Parts: sequence; structure tokens; C-alpha cells
Amino acid sequence: MRVQTAFNLQAGRSGPGAARVGIGGPVGSGKTALIEALIPVLQQRGIDFAVVTNDLVTKEDAERLRRSGLIDPARVTAVEAGACPHTVIREDPTLNIAAGDDLEARFPGIELILFESGGDNLASTFSLDLVDWWIFVIDVAGGDDIPRKKGPGLLRCDLLVVNKVDLAPYVGVNIDRMLEEARAVRSGRAVIPTNVRGGFGIEEVADAISASVLFRV
Amino acid sequence: MLFPCIRSDSPLSIMAKRQVGNLRRITLMLRIECVLGSRVEPELSEQLHRLEHRGAVDIVTIPVVDLARRRLLITTSGGEELAIALPRHQKLFDGAVLLLEKERAIVVRAATERWLRLEPRSLSDAIELGYQAGNLHWRVRFEGGVLLVALEGRPEDYLARLEGLIESGRVGAGVIEQAVDHEAAPFAEHGHPHSRPPGHGH
Repeated sequence: MRVQTAFNLQAGRSGPGAARVGIGGPVGSGKTALIEALIPVLQQRGIDFAVVTNDLVTKEDAERLRRSGLIDPARVTAVEAGACPHTVIREDPTLNIAAGDDLEARFPGIELILFESGGDNLASTFSLDLVDWWIFVIDVAGGDDIPRKKGPGLLRCDLLVVNKVDLAPYVGVNIDRMLEEARAVRSGRAVIPTNVRGGFGIEEVADAISASVLFRV
Repeated sequence: MLFPCIRSDSPLSIMAKRQVGNLRRITLMLRIECVLGSRVEPELSEQLHRLEHRGAVDIVTIPVVDLARRRLLITTSGGEELAIALPRHQKLFDGAVLLLEKERAIVVRAATERWLRLEPRSLSDAIELGYQAGNLHWRVRFEGGVLLVALEGRPEDYLARLEGLIESGRVGAGVIEQAVDHEAAPFAEHGHPHSRPPGHGH
């Protein structure tokens, strides 16, 4: 085995901690539903994880996950932004960092923490001080012009999820063109179409998380 | 005196299956769990210097925007696949030493960064340009009367947001490349650290 050697013993003792993944996107795009769909898939893969949800002035999303029966309620932490949601994932993510640290302390050996942002606009982005990698969720029913609007959230995320693809025929969206435009504005970076309620595309999202921050396929 | 930089239960070499077309191949990745220090620190630089003369220092070039990541998959110039997973109190930087063994080392080099150079013609144009750049959350630097915007995408996408200012000639625009302005000394082509002013290129 190769040995990485250092003069900084303290750094070596602390270890890397859990991978931290952000999930952002507009209100109603399916962020919480994506997490609900990911939970059993991650559990099946034996990944030790927890969730931090962000809401404006309530704990609605956290309560929804806790009541779902999918996950140990103690593994879901709520952060109340009290202001525009992007302020606590980008400008000053201290509350979320503290919530992640608390989960790591309470669940030693945890591998992954998902941070769900409160619903925001297309300019919302995550600080890399908070997360290692992040997903932006948009939905077909929000309009097929969203990729053309080139919001920073859509452009800079590591993975773009286009949700509710099953609704395309009902809202007059050409899903192939929407996905093509999304890939074009992202210069070919990852885009995954999903219908999280129907379980479509969830394995691919879990694959992307596993490969990118857990280094396993 | 050297200390192990890993936990005893955390092997550095990990196997990963990679999908390549219809085939799955097994890849050996080197797991990096801490930054050992800067290449200019005396304790490290001496060993690196010896290895450099034997051509045994592998370089991993990382885009500036990715230096803020704690977790990253990336390949060195020597073809070694790295799975970097740093503690949250550490960050990557130009000159960060990731591996130091008797026979070889791996050191980070920050990729050259591209900047949009924007030069307003008047004070009022500068005020408007500053407002737009802030409103768009662009990462900027100031260089006298010039605003430099870090390019993390296509220049045309940035210029499109400044259409009125650019088309009217109120702001001049161009793209430049600069080495990272860093604390650790950068690399020269021959592998020795030395200092150089911003904008000085090899």
C-alpha cells in the first residue's frame, strides 16, 4: 500500500469527514421529492448518510422527511434561513456548516450529508465551503425556456436534474429540445432527466453522487 | 520526522469500476486525504528538490474554480487518477503537496486562469459596470481602472450580459490569461520555485 506521509499529524488524525452534497433549485421543482426518492436507493447501496433541509421560516421539509418513515428522524436536521434561501448556502453558510458538523459528531463514520436548499431562483448557487459538489433541480412544468435563461444555478452546478419529464406532453414542452438546450448551455456537463415520483432517473443521480464524491460506482 | 497522513482503516489505493462505453474497467485510484503542506516549506522543498532532479515529481493541474473543492476526482500529468477527499479545514492551493514518498511526489499546480478584461471609458460607465458585475455575482479583481472578471464559462455568455455597455463602446473588452497569484511560489518550466509578478508568463 502506498503511504501518504506528512509533517502535519493533526491533519491526518482528523480524516476527511463526510462528503457534502447540495441540492438546490426553484420552489416546487422537486428537491424534497428527489431526496425522498434517493433515500431508499442510498440505503440499498449501504451508504451511511443524513440530510439537512433549509426552509424560510419553518421546518416543513424536515418534518416531511421525518414523517416519511424512510429515514431515522434523528438523521434529518432543519435549518431556518430566515431570509432568501441562497444567503445560507452561499453568502454565509455557517448555520448549514454547523448542522453538518453536528450530524458528523452524532453519527461517527457517516459518509454523506445532503443539504437541501430552500426553493429559490435561477441565480442560486452553493458555496464550496459548504458542499463538495451540488445538484440543481428544475422541472419541465416550470417552462422549457429555463435552460435558455442561463441562470448561474443551472450553469454552475455539477449536475443538472430536469424533473417531471412525464409532464412534458401536458404542458406543451418538447423534452428532447429542452434537454438538448440544457446540455448546450452547460457545455456538455452532466444533465439527468428524472421523474422522481415515478422513480425514473434516480439510480443515475445516485450513481453520479457515488462516483463524484464517494469515489465508487 | 514523517507521520502517516491517513487513518489506519483508510487505505489510500481504492479500486473503482469505471464505465467506458459498454465496458466496465477496474481503475486503481490513489486516495488523498490531506494536504501535506506547501512545496516551499523547508522540510518539504528539500525532498521535492531531490525528486525533481530525478523527474519523480508528478503534477496535478487543477482549474482555479476547483481549488475550493474538498473532494475531487482528477488525473495527474503522469496519468495517476486521484480521489481527493480533504478534511474541511484544509484546502487545495497552488503548490500543495499531496504525496511525498521516497521515490516520488505529487504536487498541485493551479491551472492558468482566464479573465475578461473590462475597461470602462468613464466614471459613469465604471459605476454601471460595477453594478452589473455585482448583480451577476461575478468573481472579480481590480487592476487600476480595469475590472477583471474570472471566466468560468464562455466569454460570449458574459459579454451578452453587458450587451449595452459593450456594443456602445462604453466598455472595452478582451480576454487575458494569467497565472494564479498565490502564496506559495509557482512552478517554472524547469521545476524550481521562484517568484514572479502577476501576469508574468512562461
